[in-house]
Amino acid sequence: MPTDELDLQAKGIVFDIQRFSVHDGPGIRTLVFLKGCPLRCPWCSNPESQRREQEIMFIARNCIGCKKCLNVCPSGAIDFDLPSRIRPEKCTLCGKCIEVCYAGALNTAGQEKTVETVLNELKKDNVYYRRSGGGITLSGGEPLAQADFAGQLLAGCKANGWHTTIETTGFTTEKVLKRVLPLVDLVLLDIKHMDDQKHKKYVGKSNKTVHRNARVIAGSGVQMIVRVPVIPGFNDDLINIRSTANFAHSLGTVNELHLLPYHRLGQGKYDYLGRQYPLEGITPPSRGNMERLKLLVESCGLRCSIGGG
Amino acid sequence: MAVSKKEIDSVSPRIEKLIEGLLSVVPEVESERAVLITKSFKETESMPIIIRRAKALEKILSEMTVVIRDEELVVGNLTANPRGTQIFPEFSNKWLLAEFETLAKRKGDVFLISEQTKQELREAFQYWDGRTVNELAEQYMFPETREAIGAGVFTVGNYFFNGVGHISVDYAKVMSIGYNGIIAEAEAEKAKSDTSDPDYIKKNQFLTAVIITAKAAITYAIRFASKARELAKSCQDSRRRDELLNIAENCEWVPANPARSFYEALQSFWFVQAIIQLESNGHSISPMRFDQYMYPYYQQDITGGKITREKAQELLDCLWVKFNDVNKVRDEGSTKAFGGYPMFQNLIVGGQTADGVDATNEMSFMCLEATEHTKLPQPSLSIRVWNKTPDSLLLKAGEVSRLGLGMPAYYSDEVIIPALAGRGVTLRDARDYGIIGCVEPQKGGKTEGWHDAAFFNTAKVMEITINNGTVNGKQIGPQTGEFTSFKSFEEFMNAYSKQMEYFVSLLINADNSVDLSHGERAPLPFLSSMVEDCIGKGKSLQEGGAHYNFTGPQGVGVANVGDSLAAIKKLVFDDKAVSAKELKSALDSNFAGKEDLRQMLLNRAPKFGNDNDEVDNLAREGALIYCREVEKYTNPRRGQFQPGLYPVSANVPMGAGTGATPDGRQQGVALADGVSPVSGRDMAGPTAAVNSVSKLDHHIASNGTLFNQKFHPSAMEGESGLWNLAALVRSYFDQKGLHVQFNVVSREKLLDAQKNPDKYRNLVVRVAGYSAHFTSLDKSIQDDIIARTEHIF
Repeated sequence: MPTDELDLQAKGIVFDIQRFSVHDGPGIRTLVFLKGCPLRCPWCSNPESQRREQEIMFIARNCIGCKKCLNVCPSGAIDFDLPSRIRPEKCTLCGKCIEVCYAGALNTAGQEKTVETVLNELKKDNVYYRRSGGGITLSGGEPLAQADFAGQLLAGCKANGWHTTIETTGFTTEKVLKRVLPLVDLVLLDIKHMDDQKHKKYVGKSNKTVHRNARVIAGSGVQMIVRVPVIPGFNDDLINIRSTANFAHSLGTVNELHLLPYHRLGQGKYDYLGRQYPLEGITPPSRGNMERLKLLVESCGLRCSIGGG
Repeated sequence: MAVSKKEIDSVSPRIEKLIEGLLSVVPEVESERAVLITKSFKETESMPIIIRRAKALEKILSEMTVVIRDEELVVGNLTANPRGTQIFPEFSNKWLLAEFETLAKRKGDVFLISEQTKQELREAFQYWDGRTVNELAEQYMFPETREAIGAGVFTVGNYFFNGVGHISVDYAKVMSIGYNGIIAEAEAEKAKSDTSDPDYIKKNQFLTAVIITAKAAITYAIRFASKARELAKSCQDSRRRDELLNIAENCEWVPANPARSFYEALQSFWFVQAIIQLESNGHSISPMRFDQYMYPYYQQDITGGKITREKAQELLDCLWVKFNDVNKVRDEGSTKAFGGYPMFQNLIVGGQTADGVDATNEMSFMCLEATEHTKLPQPSLSIRVWNKTPDSLLLKAGEVSRLGLGMPAYYSDEVIIPALAGRGVTLRDARDYGIIGCVEPQKGGKTEGWHDAAFFNTAKVMEITINNGTVNGKQIGPQTGEFTSFKSFEEFMNAYSKQMEYFVSLLINADNSVDLSHGERAPLPFLSSMVEDCIGKGKSLQEGGAHYNFTGPQGVGVANVGDSLAAIKKLVFDDKAVSAKELKSALDSNFAGKEDLRQMLLNRAPKFGNDNDEVDNLAREGALIYCREVEKYTNPRRGQFQPGLYPVSANVPMGAGTGATPDGRQQGVALADGVSPVSGRDMAGPTAAVNSVSKLDHHIASNGTLFNQKFHPSAMEGESGLWNLAALVRSYFDQKGLHVQFNVVSREKLLDAQKNPDKYRNLVVRVAGYSAHFTSLDKSIQDDIIARTEHIF
């Protein structure tokens, strides 16, 4: 997409912009999290990223019990007996309760932003990108689920001369990839499982699209790093990790793989959204096991790090 | 980390033993110096003060116990026991008398004191009744000034009760010409003086005093030589015997004569450093550009094959331990502002030369390694950074930062050099700056900077403005209007400026009273002999002998004032979300029953540290109102007042004395430290905090600004972590920040964060590919992370 077609007023739903990110691409980066994802991975640490539409998150700990929300809600959706405080069936997302919640117990997940607004935020750390060899990473959710917005945003980043990275599940179309890849310097591609049956069972979709798109990305010549979220009992067996590493190696353009150990950092956010945490009872992989998997990946001819770069 | 680990492992057993000897004892108060100076002063009643001071030092250096500690290679003690403290009754002593019984029992900075010491000190103190610097200064102050101090608007406590210190002398000069050279210089100056000059008598007395103290310094060293020979005689171990004989040879030659080797230069340096701290108890005696003046000696020995790098490093490590042998007892109140036995001997590496060429050398790296080896709080290690600083030095500094010692502190040449030039320092001198104490820049060996002149509570002035010039109902400032009467935000700002104008004028009165008293009662001839132009002018530092003279009082509470101004502007005047009356009443009651209003103040007005121009500009303006007032004034040494924006740890006691503020801060809670955002209110990550802080005017705060950043070790992991840290430093300095230091957060901190989550709301933890605010996590996950942190280091 040539930059002269840049539409600064294009809009997308963003749920977070995180500055000083140092593990998702080279140098000091700003991460833009786009809302909406085709997958429903049960270990997802950003549950607020899954749905495309805005949501309300209730952080009980912040509530001071002033009950202002109760008084301003026009649709009677506030229920103090509910742990998650909001009755979703009644809530119209008017945002009046959030306005009066000074203590920050009620919060919006996801805001509609223009490319221009996001770029203005990204510009604030321009000096750090330059000094560190960093840049911008689009993450999600699945950033390419908002393909037009993502494309415009990447074009805007390129117009500013920034290094761009996308962190993707690979669940998108070849058409979208071909539009976006010329604006991308690095792709971080998630590969969750090589066995399609298991993939379907846990994630809800076949992995064929991911594998096909991996080859499309490889064909474009854009630098790519494969990332594997290591989930005990799902994909942390030696066979799967070896076959993932072999697949990555076979792509020709991949020489690095990141093993991202499962963590429960997002668990609290399920409560905020009034949802059940689907992976109750699983503990993060041991350091010893991670090291073992790392050696295995390296034996397949790839560089490997635990955690992002 | 592999490289630095290897180096840590290579610390010699000697250094380990020296450190163990230092840390295994509880510091103790010693009476020897107090007794000797009192005796001397009784003997010299009829003489001019400058001679009396010189003779007192002569007596101390000739008679005090000299000790050579086991295994040490660089000698020169201040106290018989390691980390002990001498007493300086001539500055003040009544507080100590009152605290004799609690010194060993207090919560921090504990000192033992024996019954015999107490008795000897009581006797000595009697002589000083009415004769101290403190008592004279108090008489010089206006009653209004004392009232403002009493109300907690500012404190000049440090120099009011203690020596001034805060200086760097010309160490290189002593190394290159020796005290014999200084004596010759003083003699020559005497010889060429015009006896008909009306200042002749005073000048001549000063030069005589310089000669007395220089000779006394030589005598002191010779006593160590004798001591070493005596010990060598009875030493069974031939290795140690040779070392003692080597020490004896060193002390027979330096500091009287020019140093001939790296080892002699180190020994000469330490005698200077030690004797300065026996003459006066002013802290922050800062070695400054040690890598610059030591390097020629090192290079000469290395090229001449006289020393190996390993041996030189061990000598350096020995000296580093020695820096921690110096201590100082403070009153209990002051320990809250200066907690943890700090001595602030600031040593800085890197930067540029007076000619504007990069100054990094092998010694710069060796100094960083000495800190890596000893892991002790002294010296306060700093690094100068400019555009031409090699990455290798910055990466090495990052490795040291990663140890979690909070050192080195990073300073920007690109801000400090023009800031000093703006204060009348020549370009060459400005390029040759170093750092005093915490963060105060000056040209060493030429400046009496009086850098730690006061802590001034700008948040208190805000509180007083809201209360129309009153504190607890008592009118102590001008009446600038009831808070409810202001029609616009600008009217409120004008009132704040007027209160500031008034209280800064009292601050000046306090500082100048203390300044004058030091000149009259405690001029320091030994210290003065090593600072340009004292010998030439024939004047002590305390009377204006230095080439450059300044007074630097610190503003505290920058972020609280900025946040408060933003809250008042937005919520009272712009949005009219709360009335002035309602806000005032909530502040008066410390938000009792008004938690929702407090939450509004906290979360509905922008906060400094999040890269938001609206509030950042108000923080800038709030700080400027203080800075512009301060720089209007002149001190008795005819130097300019220059503001700083750093608190040491005074933000804690000052917060304790400040009522609730419109930023949502409750009564008594600590103020923000230095120019850092209020703890926990910078929520947008380190780059946003850095950007906010860099929007302040760091040039006008030429006495120094202080910016603390906390990091979890995982943010600095690996090779890329070091590069990112280096990039962060360079980016802050690109944006004209002056100083930054990194606290790499330890396990202990995380545990504390669990107990006090409000203090750590901004602490971001990183565990494999995902970041989160630590306090937002469930306890079990926090426990996971705490357990894992230990893997990282």
